[in-house]
Amino acid sequence: MTRDLAAVLPGESAVVTSLDLEAELVAWLCAVGIGCGERITVLRRAAFGGPVHVRTDCGGEFAIARSLARSIATSTASSAPHAREDEERE
Amino acid sequence: MTARVALVGRPNSGKSSLYNALTGGDAHVGNFPGITVDLLEANVTLPSGGVVTVTDLPGLYSIEAVVDPATDEGVAKAFLDREAEATDRKLVVVQVVDSTQLALGLRLTRELVRAKLAVVVAATQRDVLQAEGRTLDAPALARAIGIPVVHVNARDSATTRRDLVAAIDALLADDKPPSGVETWEPADVAAKVVSEEPSTKATARRRAFTARADGILLHSLVGPILFLGLMAALFAAVFLVADPMTSLMDSAVGFARAHLSRWLGEGLLASFVCDGVLGGAGTVLAFMPQIVILTVAMELLGASGYLARGAFLVDRILRLLGLSGRSFLPLLMGHACAVPAITATRIIRDPRERLTTILVLPLMTCSARIPTYALILSTFFAARGAWTKAAIFVFLYFAGVLSGLVASLVLRRTATSGRSLPLVLEMPQYRLPQPRLIAKKARQSAARFLRDVGTVIVAVSAVLWALLTVPLPASATSSIAADAPAIERSVAAGIGRALEPITLPLGFDWRINVGLIGSFGAREVMVGTMGVIFGIENAGDDPAPLSVRMRDAKKPNGAPAYSTRTAMALLAFFVIACQCMSTLAAIRRETKTLRWPAFVLAYTYGVAYLVAFGVYQAGGALGLG
Repeated sequence: MTRDLAAVLPGESAVVTSLDLEAELVAWLCAVGIGCGERITVLRRAAFGGPVHVRTDCGGEFAIARSLARSIATSTASSAPHAREDEERE
Repeated sequence: MTARVALVGRPNSGKSSLYNALTGGDAHVGNFPGITVDLLEANVTLPSGGVVTVTDLPGLYSIEAVVDPATDEGVAKAFLDREAEATDRKLVVVQVVDSTQLALGLRLTRELVRAKLAVVVAATQRDVLQAEGRTLDAPALARAIGIPVVHVNARDSATTRRDLVAAIDALLADDKPPSGVETWEPADVAAKVVSEEPSTKATARRRAFTARADGILLHSLVGPILFLGLMAALFAAVFLVADPMTSLMDSAVGFARAHLSRWLGEGLLASFVCDGVLGGAGTVLAFMPQIVILTVAMELLGASGYLARGAFLVDRILRLLGLSGRSFLPLLMGHACAVPAITATRIIRDPRERLTTILVLPLMTCSARIPTYALILSTFFAARGAWTKAAIFVFLYFAGVLSGLVASLVLRRTATSGRSLPLVLEMPQYRLPQPRLIAKKARQSAARFLRDVGTVIVAVSAVLWALLTVPLPASATSSIAADAPAIERSVAAGIGRALEPITLPLGFDWRINVGLIGSFGAREVMVGTMGVIFGIENAGDDPAPLSVRMRDAKKPNGAPAYSTRTAMALLAFFVIACQCMSTLAAIRRETKTLRWPAFVLAYTYGVAYLVAFGVYQAGGALGLG
């Protein structure tokens, strides 16, 4: 299933497939682990269209504007270790 | 050949702690051609006897991505580019990597290796990693990426320094070009070199802490309520906790004044020391506890990792006003002092958003406003309880925030209009603040305040004392009653009276005008100025606190000189006016033009006048005394 990062529900993981953004921003996002092929776990979404809180596979956590998340296409990840880990913690 | 060591790393990777461990906390501001930013540097002696200069660079995520040269990342990147090209000295890059998030930090390591730089990886947070039941195999990591790795605990300064300087020394002694491995996957390498012991209940609890804390602090409903409550509690605490200490210091200054006055007798010297220096600088000194408490609170918030959570919560609101969560960090810092906060805007990647943040930062309630606020509250709201005064105090903070947000809304539709980059902000892990570093910041803020009091405020108080003591020619004071105090015939009083046609609609008489002129360059001078004026005016009387003297001040017709609405108008003026030369200089430095500081000066004074006028007149219409 393909959907943008803003549509990924909290607790779910997805793999980035493309970034429809300016080249400079894409390069920076890749440098912090939000590039094509990287798996991202959505931890939560702020109310009223606020930022999305994600964790990258490298372990970094970032707040990403909802508008930016809409420009990041993802496909469903085959497994979501971080999400499972969080569930186990609960 | 000389050598330079550049300390690089992501923001929040523990770089400052490592710099302190490596250099012993010694630092001076370096001067680098083409770089206008202050970079801290210190000389360190190596085991071989050589000396290297260690430079602490701003936080950096990538050297391959193109970034605005005015931002922190741009400055660090430009520095590395320039040093790498230098032929007369060697460059060693020490990359600070948080070992609890190894894969994230190794992305930058790979870029540094690809750039053919001589790199040492300093993996920090050893104690935290161990507490989580994990271990890093540093030799295995060094073999995998082909560069030296030192696993350190920055809290153990001696061992950290010993291991790191040895690694730097060895790298400098090696004449071969850097031979790091360029192709590897950070996540794969990190997975291989960090081993994990079987999870225990205690370890699981520790690792779940961040998730649980975020679950509460970033909750859609609970998060914003806690955030607002925390901010209100913080600003109220600044007033409530510090007020008794301030009263104590105020009494001590009054006691010293009374004794000196008796000892020196009457005359110009006694007036200068007691009314000029102690009345001015001494009065301001009493407000040091509030400034130190505010600094400590800000540092605790920043070091714990909560500031980034605040940015997450307020991003949506700030976005409506043309800013983003990234602006939140410098805007909150501005509540301690606007000058470092203006420098901190370099974390904002978008140039328009950064400029807007710089232009509205002077509206945040910095600590220099506290003495004036506290004086006005204790003068005109003395009959009210401590909690009412604290509530007004908190209201003034929120009034500053609100005025900043309104200004931002207007600016983003006019002077700084245009599209902005969307938010991407790292959410650091929660950390226990290091008491030693917090205490150091508190000492620095106290020292800076003492230096200001000892230099600027003493100088202004002395000049003001002279202007309030030297009389105008008799021909210029013929309209003043013969039995009026001598101070009313002084040069300063003449200047203050000349401004009264403009300021009387705000309820400001010549004394307040003199205070406003004195505080044009630094707003904390206001209290000192009023202290000198009322010190000279009431010379010979018992040295009552300044608040009592101001409350008892009379007009020539015997009516009270100031009313509650005068106090409200003066507070409104202080909330908005940018009475700070250091702030204007910082804006000039960051924007590289005189246009923006001039703009800030004009718009804040213009709006401050109009708002103070509105408050005073509305107070009159509502029947306030």
